[in-house]
Amino acid sequence: MHEPARAPLLLLGLGNDILTDDAVGLQVARQLAEELASDPRIAILETQEMGLALLDFLTGRREVLLVDAIQTGRAVPGTLYELEAEHLQHLTGRTPHFLGVGETLALGRQLGLPMPERVRIFALEVADVHTLGTQLSPAVAAALPALLARLRAAVRASLGQA
Amino acid sequence: MNPEAEKVFNAGAARANAAYAGARRNVTINPITRLEGHGKIDIFLDAKGDVERAYLQVPELRGFEVFSLGRPAEDMPQITSRICGVCPTAHHMAATKALDSLYNVEPTSAGKKIRELVYNAFTLEDHALHVFVLGGPDFIVGPDAPPEQRNIVGVIGKVGLEAGKKVIAMRRRVREITSYFGGKVVHPVLGLPGGVSKALKAEDLAKFKELAKDGVEFAEWTLAVFKSIVLGNPDYVQMIKSDAYTHQTCYMGTVDANNKVNFYDGATRVVDCTGKEVCKFTAKQYRDYVAEHTEPWSYMKFAFLKSRGWKGFAEGPESSIYAVGPLARLNAADGMATPKAQAAYDEFFKTLGGKPVHHTLATHWARVIEMIYAAERIEELVNDPEITSPDVRRVPTQTPREGMGIIEAPRGTLFHHYQTDANGLITMANMVVATGNNAARIAMSVDRAAKGLIKGGNITEGLLNKVEMAFRAYDPCLGCATHTLPGHMPLRARIFDHRRAVVRELVQG
Repeated sequence: MHEPARAPLLLLGLGNDILTDDAVGLQVARQLAEELASDPRIAILETQEMGLALLDFLTGRREVLLVDAIQTGRAVPGTLYELEAEHLQHLTGRTPHFLGVGETLALGRQLGLPMPERVRIFALEVADVHTLGTQLSPAVAAALPALLARLRAAVRASLGQA
Repeated sequence: MNPEAEKVFNAGAARANAAYAGARRNVTINPITRLEGHGKIDIFLDAKGDVERAYLQVPELRGFEVFSLGRPAEDMPQITSRICGVCPTAHHMAATKALDSLYNVEPTSAGKKIRELVYNAFTLEDHALHVFVLGGPDFIVGPDAPPEQRNIVGVIGKVGLEAGKKVIAMRRRVREITSYFGGKVVHPVLGLPGGVSKALKAEDLAKFKELAKDGVEFAEWTLAVFKSIVLGNPDYVQMIKSDAYTHQTCYMGTVDANNKVNFYDGATRVVDCTGKEVCKFTAKQYRDYVAEHTEPWSYMKFAFLKSRGWKGFAEGPESSIYAVGPLARLNAADGMATPKAQAAYDEFFKTLGGKPVHHTLATHWARVIEMIYAAERIEELVNDPEITSPDVRRVPTQTPREGMGIIEAPRGTLFHHYQTDANGLITMANMVVATGNNAARIAMSVDRAAKGLIKGGNITEGLLNKVEMAFRAYDPCLGCATHTLPGHMPLRARIFDHRRAVVRELVQG
């Protein structure tokens, strides 16, 4: 996915493509990238990187939509959460390899980098992210069409077409 | 998957499942391809309520080994680089070297140099990330600082905004080397049996030379920061040298022909706790020197020196336990191959009372010295006339059978070992990762911390924090392959009484 100029809106899928449901963010981004390939106002990317690498993606955007898997264990798999990154600025001291989205935004702002005005996270409750495999679990696969529809609507709204 | 591959896969999976089930005994059996053990600490008490033994459980990679069966060997550098979002390049390179060995092909000289260039760039970046982001909160901000300050934002508060910008900018530029050759940083597509997929164009050389020069300056600056903040504080120095974080074990690291540290290639050398060489071996011989011990209560495998035999979790001149990683590499070598790194190496051992250094927390300092070496080595390589040679690959012609590769991952020595059928489909894959090599010593560190904190069944407050300090310097892999929110795994400790029943469970995170 090559991006010639920084598009103001970014949809970024996160995950690992060989850990079952952890791939959901990547699969969604791949699907939407095909549908929206011709629009220069939006970039649709996927990454398996973590932590500081997010900074490179966030820098210079106006708005970012992140798609990721989440495992709270308190909702049925397939449940969609919509979170504002501003509410996630929880700076934990003991994250082993990881800077969360909130931490990355705080860091970017502290360094004076152009950070997005708004970062939203679309997190799908998943069933299994520990089994090596390339197939989504049935509950997550079943939730995919609704997730895609929600993201298409969010993208349209952000582009002022709603 | 084609039917032939499927057959190999199923036969291999059945075999591995049987062996796995046999080895696990009383521990709950989960599906074979499951990664597990996200920072679990198991503490076993005796009848008096004192700690008999405490262990850290980290994720195992056996699932990955089964996942590889039946796949074409050429896919291994790409597949294994997905193991971890933190060290993809280490797995990629170990797998690539195992493919050289599998096809019995010697890479061209320029091909090797490009691999080493990319590998040192990766090490420089990963070490910088650790110094400023992962270990920095403990050392630069301070172990007693409030938790909300112990993160990268706190580090930048301490080192200054301009310094913070420098760290972020250098990290991004160093990554350009990896992307130039390998495309995506996380899944590099660089290594092929017999060489690499892309040559360095002469017209692009200037920017790499510039970057190399800045990289050396950056690494030296990092050492100056470390010295003023960490070594300038007597409390830190006392903590580094304290008994709580000191273990007399063997050390393993890869060295060049002059016994100097090398991350990419050479022979793997082990010294004992007095600094005397115990053995030196090549990738092909690793099975003669390294064995893995299992305990009935754990799925973890504890690597030890085969020649000495498993002697339990014991320290001293006869210990068969070894450590890997920055401190171990400095201990296992006679020095550094580049001048500035050598000067820093000499100062390190002089300050800490001679070789070997047994203080686990000195790993952070050793890591900074390795940054200087990585940067200097990048500079040497980009100034080598051969680096722009188009002759970057020798095409393999032999039938594959068995291959082994060793690389020094940032966290320590990493082994990849594959067997294939005549079509090059994987029939056996084994990996010994840095965390497995360090597992026994990590267990000793965790054990010592727990023993100091639990007496007669009474559990001291803050147990998890202090136990975590004991293993953070090793930077063990704690389920880093998954990416799922909230982005980090809770640390969990289970305390068992002498009847092996869980009496308490503590969770942090």
